[in-house]
Amino acid sequence: MKLEQPDQAQPEVQTAVSSPGAHPYGRLLLALLLVTAVILALARFATGPLADRFHTFTTIFLGIFIEAAPFLLAGSVVSGLIEVFVDRDILARLVPRRAAAAALTGALLGFAFPVCECGVVPVTRRLYHKGLPLSVGVAFLLAAPVVNPIVILSTYAAFGWGPVLIGRVVFSVLIAFIAGLLFTLATPEEALRPTSQEHDHAHHEEEEACDLALAEKKGKAYGRFWQALAVGGDDFMDMVRYLIVGSLLAAGMQTLVPQSTLLALGSGPALSVVIMMALAFVLSICSTVDAFLALSFANSFTTGSIMAFLVFGPMVDIKSSLMFLGVFRKRTVLYLILLPMALSLLMGVVMNMLAAW
Amino acid sequence: MNRLIKTLILFLLGAFLFMRVGDGTVLYYINQRFVLLTWLAAGGFVLVAAGYFLHSGRQEQPPTHAHNHDHGELSWLGLTIVALPLLLGWLVPPRPLGAAAIGNREINVGSLGTLSSVAPPDAGSVMGLVAGEKNILDWLNAFQRQGDPAVFNGQAAHVIGFVYRDGRFAQDTFMVARFTVSCCVADAAPVGLIVQWPEAANLPTDQWVEVTGHFVVGSFNGEQLPILLADEITPTEPPAQPYLYL
Repeated sequence: MKLEQPDQAQPEVQTAVSSPGAHPYGRLLLALLLVTAVILALARFATGPLADRFHTFTTIFLGIFIEAAPFLLAGSVVSGLIEVFVDRDILARLVPRRAAAAALTGALLGFAFPVCECGVVPVTRRLYHKGLPLSVGVAFLLAAPVVNPIVILSTYAAFGWGPVLIGRVVFSVLIAFIAGLLFTLATPEEALRPTSQEHDHAHHEEEEACDLALAEKKGKAYGRFWQALAVGGDDFMDMVRYLIVGSLLAAGMQTLVPQSTLLALGSGPALSVVIMMALAFVLSICSTVDAFLALSFANSFTTGSIMAFLVFGPMVDIKSSLMFLGVFRKRTVLYLILLPMALSLLMGVVMNMLAAW
Repeated sequence: MNRLIKTLILFLLGAFLFMRVGDGTVLYYINQRFVLLTWLAAGGFVLVAAGYFLHSGRQEQPPTHAHNHDHGELSWLGLTIVALPLLLGWLVPPRPLGAAAIGNREINVGSLGTLSSVAPPDAGSVMGLVAGEKNILDWLNAFQRQGDPAVFNGQAAHVIGFVYRDGRFAQDTFMVARFTVSCCVADAAPVGLIVQWPEAANLPTDQWVEVTGHFVVGSFNGEQLPILLADEITPTEPPAQPYLYL
């Protein structure tokens, strides 16, 4: 950060303080300066355990962020491409009308859009804009991080062809399907944030003006590509806030709560499942690679708990559930966390009991 | 203004990733196999920033189309949050995880049977390594496969790691440790060998060392396991690739 900033900041800060409704850039500068000062104090001048913890925290935070940002960016660009190149009519024609068929389509949609749990969020939001039914989007959101070629391949690389791979895909589809079915009971208005909803049909003319796919139909492909990138940039900036706050929380948990405490809690048929789910939630690692991590737990943990880790983790973790907040209303986000949690727990425990029996 | 700031942040994110892959410090954060992805993302950020800049200028022209339905303006708080990774990335000198991070994790010391096992997919090729080329993880895997610590009696070893110790270590022992990483440092797990050396107490915690020595069966924390008797210990710089990959 530049040192000459305080001088530049001073006049703007004062205007912001004197007239509260004014441009917020004074506040922005003030906040940035404050954060800069705190970081510098901790990074350069603090010593002992506090400094150690701060460095561990920073490294883990940047690790999660550097790992996840490319996937979020890819998802955002896909979202931009959908906005510019996919007509809502095509989408409406392709999605089945019947509830069960629609939810199943959503759960399998990951094969068409190979995204992980970061990329899936902006894509889902964009598809909602284009009029995708709520239930299909929910099933897609929950299943796509597992049910896509890349993750299936990495799971195969870690566990080979066998019960773990098959179980992971089948149970992810099943849980997403059930959640999707339940959400046919809700309306988009009550579940989605206003910014994620399809544009109001009363303003149909305005909607057509808004729908870039229609508005720019005559535009050259070259121009539309840049346009897709611009839309993607907006999406990224919208979602990355949630990713950052989620990564901060995950890194904080890892710095403050010893992993050994979690793992030492027990290995009973039910408790082990709870622990591995908690671990998946806290670690917040990308679904494209979590199979390799699960492998390192495979010998010391029950099969049901490994399966719960592999099924629940991609659907819900600290950073993805925070990103849900950018698409859904708070209450819906709670359902989207609790529903997969209950179903994964049930699956894991039943699996352990069958194995013991 | 908001658009300019967003363009700047997108561009700086790209620049940040370019810098970290450029000087190799990206390996302090993620597994080597994702470095290509980081390259692509760095380029992607610059492209998106360009698209954002070019197109947002055009979009602001028609005043009739002034409503912002989904291109939300970020508040000062939102922008501060978005700037956080950049600030932390640029203000805090890059540093790999060290001894301080072990306190929060389970250590794999090659105790037989009980440890959370690591099974590398290419176990066969690891077996073929010459003793001097085996890293800490290779040795632990070998211990685990063998089951009997006595098999390693007298075998020579040469490993690199950082110094770690806690209450369980006597004056003349420490652990030479590394972290294994499968995805990013969020899943880092420490592994280490117990080293015995008369002057162990002189080595500061977190110092990277090259240890040359040979194994003898000893007991640590009430367990029988191979302990590395050091013949020579050389302080060294952290390797460019500080973590071991599963």
